[in-house]
Amino acid sequence: MGKVLLSAILALSFSTSLSQAQSAWTGGDDLPTNPLACDATAPTPTAKPYDGGVPTNAPDRKGKTITVVDVPKLVGIGYFNATSKGIADAAKEMGTMNAKTDGPSKANIDDQITLIDNYITSGVDGILFAANDPVAIAPVLKKALAAGINVVGYDANSTPDARQWFVNQAEFNGIAKSMVDAMAAEVGEEGSFAIVTSTFTTPNQARWISEMAAYQAKCHPKMKWLETVEAQEDNILSFNQANTLINKYGDELKGIFGMTSVATPAAADAVTQANKCGSVAVVGLATPNAMKPYVSSGCVKSVVLWNPVDLGYAAAYVMRAVADGDLKGGATSVKAGKLGELSVINGSEILLGAPFVFTKDNINDFDF
Amino acid sequence: MAMTDLDIPPVRPSRAVQRPGAIQRLMSDYGQEIVVLLAIVALFAFVTMINPRFISANNLTTIFAGNAYIAVAAIGMSMVIITGNIDVSVGALIGVLATISGTLAVAGYPVWVAWFAPVLIGMAINGLIGVLVAYARIPSIVVTLGALSILRGGLISATGGTWISDLPPAFMVAQKKLFGLPVPLVAMVVLTLLAAAWMRYSAFGRSLYALGGNPEAAVATGIPAERRIVAVFIIHGFFAGLATILFATQLQVIQSTVPPNLELTIITAAVIGGVSILGGSGTVIGSTLAAILFATIGSALIFTNVSAYWLRAVIGLLILATVLADMFRRSRRI
Repeated sequence: MGKVLLSAILALSFSTSLSQAQSAWTGGDDLPTNPLACDATAPTPTAKPYDGGVPTNAPDRKGKTITVVDVPKLVGIGYFNATSKGIADAAKEMGTMNAKTDGPSKANIDDQITLIDNYITSGVDGILFAANDPVAIAPVLKKALAAGINVVGYDANSTPDARQWFVNQAEFNGIAKSMVDAMAAEVGEEGSFAIVTSTFTTPNQARWISEMAAYQAKCHPKMKWLETVEAQEDNILSFNQANTLINKYGDELKGIFGMTSVATPAAADAVTQANKCGSVAVVGLATPNAMKPYVSSGCVKSVVLWNPVDLGYAAAYVMRAVADGDLKGGATSVKAGKLGELSVINGSEILLGAPFVFTKDNINDFDF
Repeated sequence: MAMTDLDIPPVRPSRAVQRPGAIQRLMSDYGQEIVVLLAIVALFAFVTMINPRFISANNLTTIFAGNAYIAVAAIGMSMVIITGNIDVSVGALIGVLATISGTLAVAGYPVWVAWFAPVLIGMAINGLIGVLVAYARIPSIVVTLGALSILRGGLISATGGTWISDLPPAFMVAQKKLFGLPVPLVAMVVLTLLAAAWMRYSAFGRSLYALGGNPEAAVATGIPAERRIVAVFIIHGFFAGLATILFATQLQVIQSTVPPNLELTIITAAVIGGVSILGGSGTVIGSTLAAILFATIGSALIFTNVSAYWLRAVIGLLILATVLADMFRRSRRI
């Protein structure tokens, strides 16, 4: 009967969460949006009290060599390889941090919780994380704080009180503006477009999509959103979904947004293989290496991202500042090595900077 | 479902002896396959009424070729499950083989080496798994769970997570056409038909059903159980290798990770296609139809603007229904 159990588990694994947040565009979340100005005016930061957590009885780590473990969403993809390179670079530069990366082999919250729990038991000074689920990861991070461990997030946040600081790679409205402006430049102010995302509940993707909807309504009101499709983190599924969008809408479809490093190159491949380069634009979030073939061929003109090496680098410096007691609630900025002063936003977050648009001219300068 | 005389207790007359009508025999041999086929036909009719572009040549290509690599891998998986075993490591194996294939292609080896070296490696790895299952008598789920971790972890350590690009155009066989049809589609159909005929008419194929249906009786009739189990794992490795060729040559970039839950999708194709999870019955025609059904449902959801969440829910329900139906059929027979 063990196999009957196996098939029941099989069945359950497919029938996960049916709940779905409704917003202006499918795939977004229902949190409030804050679209940036249509021109390049910088937003005025709103003051907000520190809302991060505090470790219990943390030993004095000032100036001492600390052991830090980095637990990304998963290991083995270009993006998190780049963040762990940044962390390693910073650790080497400082000389007072032993950093290592250890993450689940797929983006699974349960595996991630188990890993963090093991490191709490084995004893570390600091934990860097990129959460697979902002709520589910909170208890184990609070356990780390209670054990006196410094906890800093990057890339994907947890609930604020479960960590001390979060290094925000780019504000959602900043990415949204870069994405929508790039798409409008390619397909025109009246173009129709669709989105290929990972899943509708992936926190980063859902937030970006909501902000893109708000920014498009404000600054490019005549563009038309057709639909959003899910493609997990599956390259062939992303390719099939993009093909299906092209087949469904025909000439009406002028552009596809790819929301992940997996979806964007697969969408670009679908457009290439359908001989639609030039008539269907692909704009997306992706690592440069994944997009080089399509950017070199001219099929894709804009790839939006931040520099993940810098993100890991900044996270390591924030960890050092927190461990030293130099970065406390109420601070307005923090020094991050060669990146200079980074500003504090949203109470307990550090902003990395404006997003980066990779084009044919600069993409070959990057290797991640 | 295909039924052999061997998996029915000898004290009762086999139903085949009663010589039922052709339709009845077809239903008893291919019941689940027919259900899946009808589901595909019904979906096509329904969605085409809503949006005729569903049956445009391009969309048919997307549907029939899109899941071809899953169908090809499910052929070998079906054979393994029919013998009463399981393999949960095939997704990781395909990931490893795709990386090997891409690395060879980029290193300048002839494309046929890049295509077929992974097939041989897949056969070797699965042969080892088969030996552990057959001779060391470790349950296949344990062996393959171990293999899953080793392969997935090894892949990430060996590649460091870098993606392979700059693949030579000649390598991209999945993007090419044969007789005006996409290569993945042709490969899926030809391999399915050959494997189905071989499973139904060869003594070797029949012995796999016997091993899964009633191992003691199979051994008593002189079937070399251990050797057959090793052989079926090697054959499964062969199909996993062929699936890898289709998987690795579809896009211009090979990732060092595989689609999440690929092994589950492949096992699910076999189960929904009518392969009994308890072994002893099912056909590879069913698993291929099920792989096509998944692609059809996925495309239909987009064409009818239904949330993709339903794809997972619907497939989950299909598995439960299929397994329950299988249980029911078994309880009636005993």
